[in-house]
Amino acid sequence: MALVEIRNLSKSFSKGDEVISPLVDVDLDIHQGDFVSLMGPSGTGKSTLLNLISGIDQPEQGTIVVDGVEVTKLSRSKLADWRAANLGYIFQTHNLIPVLTAYENVELPILLLPLTAGERRRRVEIALEAVGLSDRADHYPWQMSGGQEQRVGIARAIVAHPKVVVADEPTGSLDTKTSDQIQVLLKRLNQELDITLVMVTHDSEAAAIASRQMILDNGKIIESIAEHANGASSEQHAQMVRGK
Amino acid sequence: MMFRLSSYVIKGIWRHRARTMLTVSGAAVAMFVFCFVGSVQEGLERLTSDEDAQRTLIVFQENRFCPTSSRLPEDYARRIAEIPGVKDVMPVQVWTNNCRASLDIVVFNGAPPKQLQTARKLELTSGNWGEFESRRDAAIVGENVATRRNLKKGDQFSIGDLDVQVAGVFTSPVPAEENLIYTGLEFLQYTRGLDSAGLVTQHEVHLTENADPDEVASAIDEALRAGPVATTTRRKGAFQTSTLSDLVDLIGFAHYLGYACVGLVLALVATTTVMAVQDRIKEHAVLQTLGVRPARVFRIVIAESLLLCFAGGILGTAVALAILNWGGLAIGAEGVTIAFRPSIQLAAVGLLVSASVGILAGIIPAVQAARTPIVTALRQP
Ligand SMILES: Nc1ncnc2c1ncn2[C@@H]1O[C@H](COP(=O)(O)OP(=O)(O)O)[C@@H](O)[C@H]1O
Ligand SMILES: [Mg+2]
Repeated sequence: MALVEIRNLSKSFSKGDEVISPLVDVDLDIHQGDFVSLMGPSGTGKSTLLNLISGIDQPEQGTIVVDGVEVTKLSRSKLADWRAANLGYIFQTHNLIPVLTAYENVELPILLLPLTAGERRRRVEIALEAVGLSDRADHYPWQMSGGQEQRVGIARAIVAHPKVVVADEPTGSLDTKTSDQIQVLLKRLNQELDITLVMVTHDSEAAAIASRQMILDNGKIIESIAEHANGASSEQHAQMVRGK
Repeated sequence: MMFRLSSYVIKGIWRHRARTMLTVSGAAVAMFVFCFVGSVQEGLERLTSDEDAQRTLIVFQENRFCPTSSRLPEDYARRIAEIPGVKDVMPVQVWTNNCRASLDIVVFNGAPPKQLQTARKLELTSGNWGEFESRRDAAIVGENVATRRNLKKGDQFSIGDLDVQVAGVFTSPVPAEENLIYTGLEFLQYTRGLDSAGLVTQHEVHLTENADPDEVASAIDEALRAGPVATTTRRKGAFQTSTLSDLVDLIGFAHYLGYACVGLVLALVATTTVMAVQDRIKEHAVLQTLGVRPARVFRIVIAESLLLCFAGGILGTAVALAILNWGGLAIGAEGVTIAFRPSIQLAAVGLLVSASVGILAGIIPAVQAARTPIVTALRQP
C-alpha cells in the first residue's frame, strides 16, 4: 500500500464568473521513501495540491489517505493534530517566527507533541545538526542569511519525524549557489533519513535530483518515465497517471 | 500546553514594545480614574450605610444648613437625654473654613473630651488623651487631615481665628471621621467670631440597643418644639446625605465616568489586539500549518489581550490605591466630608474589571485569527 494515496481529487476556485480548475480527478500514489518533484507552469495548481495533502485546504471531491488515515475527512482541529505529528511543511519564504530563535522555531512544532523536555531538546539538536546549523541555535531569523533561514525551516519541518514532508518551491527565493546547497541537503535527508518528500519546483535541475519527476498541467499529473529513478513499471505508471 | 507557547506570547508582546507600553499606560490611566471614581462612590455609601450613620441621630436647628447658622442651646442635651431610647447625648460645636463644596475643607468639631472618648471609637496613633483633656487649645487631628496638612503631635496649627496645639493624631473605623479635628467644646464656643457661649451647632444622640431611630427622632423634635429654637432630628446618614445633596448628585453622575473608563479600556485594548492580529494573520496561519489548533490560536490572542489589559489594570489600580492611601484626599461641604479610601474591594473590582475587559477585548480578534482560512492567509505577501 502506498504511503499517500490520492484518488479522484478535484479542486476549483471561482473568481467572479470565471471558474479555475487546477486539479481535475487527480490520482497519485506516493511511497515511503519517495522523493517526488512536481513541476509545471505557474498557476497550474502545484501549491494547491501540496495544501490538500497537508490538509490546510479542502478538496471539492476525492480522497487523500496518508498511512491509512483519510485526511480529507478530518475536522480542522483534528487536522492540526495530525499535521503536528505527521506532516512537515517547507515554505518558499521560510516563514520563520521572527521573535523566536532558530532553536525555538525548530522546537515549536514538537511543543505540541507529548514529549519530555529532554526528548524535545535531543530532537531539536539532531534536526539542527542535520541541516548544519548547530552553531546558530541562538540566532534570530534577522541574524541569518536566506539560505540559513531556509535550513532552519527545513529543520522545523523534519523535527517531529513526520511521515511526509512537502516543500513548496523551497529554493524559489534563493540564489543559485544557495539553492544548490539546499537541494543537496534535501536529497541527503531523503536518502539518509528516509524522509518522504514532495517538492514543487520551477527548476528542472532541482527536479532532476528527485527520484520521481512529475508535471502538473491542465489539471492532470504526468509522470516523466524517462528519468524515473524508482524503476516503477509502466503498468504502475499508467495506473498512477490517468489522463484524458 | 498553553504554557509551552507562553514564550511565544510574551515575546510577541515584547516585539511591539512601543505599542504595548502605550496600550498598557492607556489602560492604566483609565483604570486609575475608574478606581478613583469607585472610591468616591464607596466613601459616599459609607456615609449612609455605616452602623454609625444608621444608629446615631443628629439634632440640628430647623431649616438651617451651614453649621455656622445652626445655634441650639447647649442645655437641650439634658432634655434630650430624658427621652426614652436615648443612651447618651453629646453637644457638638462645628467650625469649618468653607461652607461650600471644597477639596480642602477643614472641619473642627468641639465636644467634651470625656464623652468624645466613649462615644467615638477613636484610636490615637500618637499623643494621649490626658494631654488633650488638660490643655484648653489642644486638638486631636484625624489621620487624613494630618497627612494632607502635614501635621504631627506638638505642631501648632492656625486657620482663620483658630489656633490649636496638636496633641495627637487619631484613626477611626469611620473613615470620614479622619477628616476631622477635635477640640474641647468650650474652646470652639469661645472662639472669636462664633460667640457661642451656651450654644452648640448640633447634638449627637446615641441610642439604646433596641430603640427605633426614627421614633426617637420625632420624639426629640416634639419635645423641643416648645423650646426657644425648633429642631430637625435625623439619622446621621440621612443628615449627611441631605447636607451633601449637591455633591451626591455630582458623584452619582461620576459613576457614568467609571463606566466610560471601562468602555475606553475595552476600545483601546480591542483596537490594539485587532491590529496585532491583522499584522500576524500569516504568522497564525503558519502556526496552524505546523499543527497548532485553531482553538489554541484563539487562546493565544486572548492571552495577549488579557496580559496587556491586566498589566494596565494592575498599574492603574496600584497607583490609584497608593494615592488614596497616602494623599489624604477628601471632599466635603458644610462641615460634612467624604473620605476617599483605598479598599480591598476596590482593588479586587479594579483587577477583575481589567481582566474581564481584557478577555472581552480579545474575543473578536481571536475569532478572526482562528477562523481565517489557512491557505488564504498564507497567500498574503
Ligand atoms: N484561494 C484562492 N482563490 C481563488 N483562486 C485561487 C486560490 N488559490 C489558488 N487559486 C488559483 O488557483 C490556481 C492554482 O494556484 P496555485 O496552486 O497557487 O498554483 P501554482 O502553485 O501551481 O503556481 C491559480 O490560478 C490561482 O490563481
Ligand atoms: Mg505555488
